[in-house]
Amino acid sequence: MKFPPFTYHRPRSIEEALDLLAEHGDDAKVLAGGQSLLPVMALRLGRPEHIVDIGSIVELATIDVDDDRLRVGAMVRHAEAEGSPRVAERAPLLRAALPHVGHRAIRSRGTVVGSIAHADAAAELPAVCLATNAEIELRSATQSRTINAADFFDGHFTTVAHSDELVTSVRFGTPGTHHAVIEQSRRHGDYAMVGVACQLTIADAIVTSAALAFFGVSSTAVRVAEAEAALIGTDAGPEAIASMRAAVTDVLEPDGDIHATAAYRRHVAGVVAARSIHAALHNEEAAA
Amino acid sequence: MTATRQTSGLGFVGQRVMRVEDERLLIGDGHFVADGDPTAVLHAAFLRSPFAHADVVSIDVSAARALDGVVRVFTAAELNARTNLFPPFLMTNGLYAPLFGCLSERRVRHVGDPVALVVATSRAIAEDALELIDVDYEELDAVGSIKAALLGNAPKVWERAKGNVLGDFTDEFGDVAAAFDAADHTIEATLTCPRQTNQPMETRGIVVTVDPDDGHLDVRSTTQAPHFLKWALAALLIDKPTLRSVGDFVRNKERRSAFGAAAKEFVAANRHRLTEQDPRGLLSQVRADRSTLPLMNRIGAGLLAAADYPTVRAGDIGGGFGSKGPVSREEIAIGAAASIMGQSIQWIEDRVENLLDGGQAREEQFRVRVAVDSDGTLRALDVDAIIDQGAYPGFPIPPSVTAKFWKVYMPGPYDFGAFRLRARTVATNKGKVVPYRGPWANETWMRERVIDIVAAELELDPGDVRAKNVLRPESMPPAMITGPTLDETMSAAKTLDHALAMIDRDELVQQKSTAEARGHRLGVGIACYHEAAPGPANFWSSIEPGSDLLLYEDGRAELAADGTIRMYTSQSPHGQSHQTTYKQVAADEFGVSMDDVEIVWGNTDRTQFTLLGTGGSRGGPLGAGVMRVTARNVRDKVAEVAADMLEANVSDIEIVAGNIHVAGVPAKGMTYRDVAAKLAADDGITSGPVLTDQVRYEGVGNGGWSVATHVAWVDIDLETGEVTIPRYVVVEDCGPIINPGVVDGQVRGGVAQGIGAVFYEKHHYDEHATLMTTTYMDYLIPTAMEIPEIEVVHLETLTDGENDARGVGEGGMIGAPAALTNAVSDALGVQVTEQHLPPYRLLELAGIIGPD
Ligand SMILES: Cc1cc2nc3c(=O)[nH]c(=O)nc-3n(C[C@H](O)[C@H](O)[C@H](O)COP(=O)(O)OP(=O)(O)OC[C@H]3O[C@@H](n4cnc5c(N)ncnc54)[C@H](O)[C@@H]3O)c2cc1C
Repeated sequence: MKFPPFTYHRPRSIEEALDLLAEHGDDAKVLAGGQSLLPVMALRLGRPEHIVDIGSIVELATIDVDDDRLRVGAMVRHAEAEGSPRVAERAPLLRAALPHVGHRAIRSRGTVVGSIAHADAAAELPAVCLATNAEIELRSATQSRTINAADFFDGHFTTVAHSDELVTSVRFGTPGTHHAVIEQSRRHGDYAMVGVACQLTIADAIVTSAALAFFGVSSTAVRVAEAEAALIGTDAGPEAIASMRAAVTDVLEPDGDIHATAAYRRHVAGVVAARSIHAALHNEEAAA
Repeated sequence: MTATRQTSGLGFVGQRVMRVEDERLLIGDGHFVADGDPTAVLHAAFLRSPFAHADVVSIDVSAARALDGVVRVFTAAELNARTNLFPPFLMTNGLYAPLFGCLSERRVRHVGDPVALVVATSRAIAEDALELIDVDYEELDAVGSIKAALLGNAPKVWERAKGNVLGDFTDEFGDVAAAFDAADHTIEATLTCPRQTNQPMETRGIVVTVDPDDGHLDVRSTTQAPHFLKWALAALLIDKPTLRSVGDFVRNKERRSAFGAAAKEFVAANRHRLTEQDPRGLLSQVRADRSTLPLMNRIGAGLLAAADYPTVRAGDIGGGFGSKGPVSREEIAIGAAASIMGQSIQWIEDRVENLLDGGQAREEQFRVRVAVDSDGTLRALDVDAIIDQGAYPGFPIPPSVTAKFWKVYMPGPYDFGAFRLRARTVATNKGKVVPYRGPWANETWMRERVIDIVAAELELDPGDVRAKNVLRPESMPPAMITGPTLDETMSAAKTLDHALAMIDRDELVQQKSTAEARGHRLGVGIACYHEAAPGPANFWSSIEPGSDLLLYEDGRAELAADGTIRMYTSQSPHGQSHQTTYKQVAADEFGVSMDDVEIVWGNTDRTQFTLLGTGGSRGGPLGAGVMRVTARNVRDKVAEVAADMLEANVSDIEIVAGNIHVAGVPAKGMTYRDVAAKLAADDGITSGPVLTDQVRYEGVGNGGWSVATHVAWVDIDLETGEVTIPRYVVVEDCGPIINPGVVDGQVRGGVAQGIGAVFYEKHHYDEHATLMTTTYMDYLIPTAMEIPEIEVVHLETLTDGENDARGVGEGGMIGAPAALTNAVSDALGVQVTEQHLPPYRLLELAGIIGPD
């Protein structure tokens, strides 16, 4: 469980980092908080020849607001985002998700953007991106591009980002009026067996928009349009929740593994979805 | 009878004294095996098989040898040529005990089986080199389960064995057939327990330092049994041919006569026990596998003639739970490599290796029949059990020994009139099975689960069925039907009655309906057992004739010239608080403070030989017993000297807080230092011991039984299968308590592992015997967040014995799985027949989801 040999780079600027990625491409990996990359290397399941540590690039460690949207830079740690009033205000769904990410010690090092770039199918933050229509901002030495979350995640641990690209930041979408993240994990702090990020907008007691993004049930986080549709235009009362729940268990086709069978995941996806609606409604009441 | 707390002096014994180990360990001042200077040693890594079962066609290590920083690469052929095969240690008639070397040369038998060893200047380089070794494997069909092992056409894990069933024994006590005929009902069940692994916080590790002048090996290891490791190294590292060994022995007059005297003394002391030994065990092994005999000759010769036995030292150890008792193949390989190279080598196992083969346990199944009357009277128990031993048996304790424990333990503290056990041990292509905290514990799980099944079928209360059948002091037979003598003062009934009284049945009805209203189910489960801790001599001879020979502990107390009091124990502490409890005992006897006593452990040059080290619930009864007796003896000698010095009568001497004086005249006192100085001056010495007392302690109080009853309350969320444990109670009696805080800690730690077993931990092999749980992402150990408050009630039967403290380290883990699965059954109204119950399984049992 020792790292395979690699060359370590610690660029001081984005441009320097991008040059390194341009030069080493497929042989290089970006190192952010290291909470996912380093275990993979220690187990020798990954063996990048070049490590580009972006930890010293100060300009990546910022949270700002751009065009009314919250932008989180690539070196913002989970813990910092968790404690940020701006995040709470502008991206309440992200705020709701963060306490579920691992344990405190992991959140002190791991980064929000790293988690999104890593694209673990059971991770919370890709689901938050989908639910809020976040935009992923990418740069390479030769170009910049912005990709909608819906187009970013390609499969378990894979995204459409190229090996010479750095995710510089993620812009989270506009919040709704009600938010909740509910998950079922084996132990406190574990990745979820099944979870959901739920964002609702309710006006005059009627749901005008709904986003339900599930994680742990597919090769990427997934939104279930049928379930969202079952809520829109309703009062999110017991009947609406029941038909939403039916849609969830109908549509999702999760796999089983040693921690949970497919049948369990499908069933509990419905449970967490229903609970997320209750929690979202309740959170709003608590806040009011 | 005078019941006392067996304390004297300052009365530390019985007090909730803070652990003396903690401050040092918590501030990072411990000295674990990996804490030495990494630049002073070479680092080792093992190449391990990726296949569960395969032939090794060829191996090419040339690229690895050429890597910068690699000092040496050993193939299995090279290393095995310089070591003996592991011999069958405990041999039983009819049991096939496979022979194997420290590395696997021609065939690998489980994922993780070591095939080569790299020694390099760093562990990282050694791991780089592993990737350059080219092994050509030819994969074979693997045996992944007990069921697969028993199939007629199953591949054989051990070619020389008749099949995969390595042992098949039946024992019967009382007339089982007659009891079933007479009973009103026969109730049957099949129960299964999946594989677990002992997961100590610290993995295994060994550092072998070679003396450049004489080649003497100084070994630091995470061992629970330093002396056994020393002997194993001496026996398995070949330093000369057999004939020369014998010749050397014969020529060495001193060793010859020392050996002769020791053998004579041993035979004289144990004549009656030796006659019970069953020599057929050895003979059957030799018949089954002819390579045994020359191997035994070589090992015997090697042991007799080894010019120099290694020194083994165990420092701080981060837990073991039984897994660090056996000597592992890796330890022998590292010892051999270091002595061949004449260079010091360190191997620190990583967590993946530890999960692959650091020690696994408890994969067992039981087909049970119970004869019972309509009123709940238990008549007979008939069990057909199977143990999955994996490929290589642990050394020295093979998994088949569990069956021997079962044959004695299984009726438990109940009045079964008859009992039969058939126990088979099967080989599969999995990691090795070692003792794990209460290695026989599944007998309690099986029996307590079955009692609840009986109660459900007869529509009786499970608590009432236990209360009706438990052996009570007033009617207790002198012995279990399986042999061991019972002790009416230590009855499990006492803990059962107390525990049952703690369940408020009206409140329980209320709690159940509250839970139901929330979409949850709540249940309560009971488990009751007795435990030989370490038990009477005939407990051990019932297991295996002659094993009662090991029911002793050597120890030594010493007053040094500078006044230091040193206690030498042959125990090898690794989390059981020996330093604290032994200081309490010795300080009380000496009449000094705990700080005045030094505990010496773990160094084979300084402590006396023992095959066992720490294990088998001996630390409290035997280990503390010998501390008590030797301390008292030295104290008495000191009192004599002091009486002389003070011109007083020895019976008038008192020692209080280190002040040795004539009763009533504390102002005219002296100290241990004064007495030591006087004796040193008399002897003309300035260092070393001035007074020593060494004792072989055999007393195990009134039979050495510990008893307990566990009660678990379990709440299950029927939507998600999430479990909470609103209440958990342990009512235990381990005799006079040395330190209630330490007992609480041992009980709670054991219960935590039982919670792990039932709800979190399963070592998962797929049908091809590939291990799925190779990291802590998949092998789930409960954290503090998953463990509830555990209430512990100490009944503490006081006796007038010399040292009646009983073992208590294993019990928590013995009772918990039964209490928890019984609670789940009660909650769901379903009779659970498996020990591992993750959320998805709970929802399946509740009928909420179907199987995949
Ligand atoms: C015990 C444990 C429990 C955990 N539990 C959870 C959990 O419950 N939920 C959860 O979501 N996560 C969990 N994590 C993972 C944690 O959230 C990580 O922080 C996160 O997955 C990755 O962030 P990081 O900054 O550590 O990324 P790193 O480990 O540094 O990188 C991860 C991957 O992303 C790439 N990458 C990182 N940043 C960028 C970038 N800016 N541009 C391009 N590529 C980039 C890296 O090259 C690498 O491939 C857990 C981790 C541990 C160790």
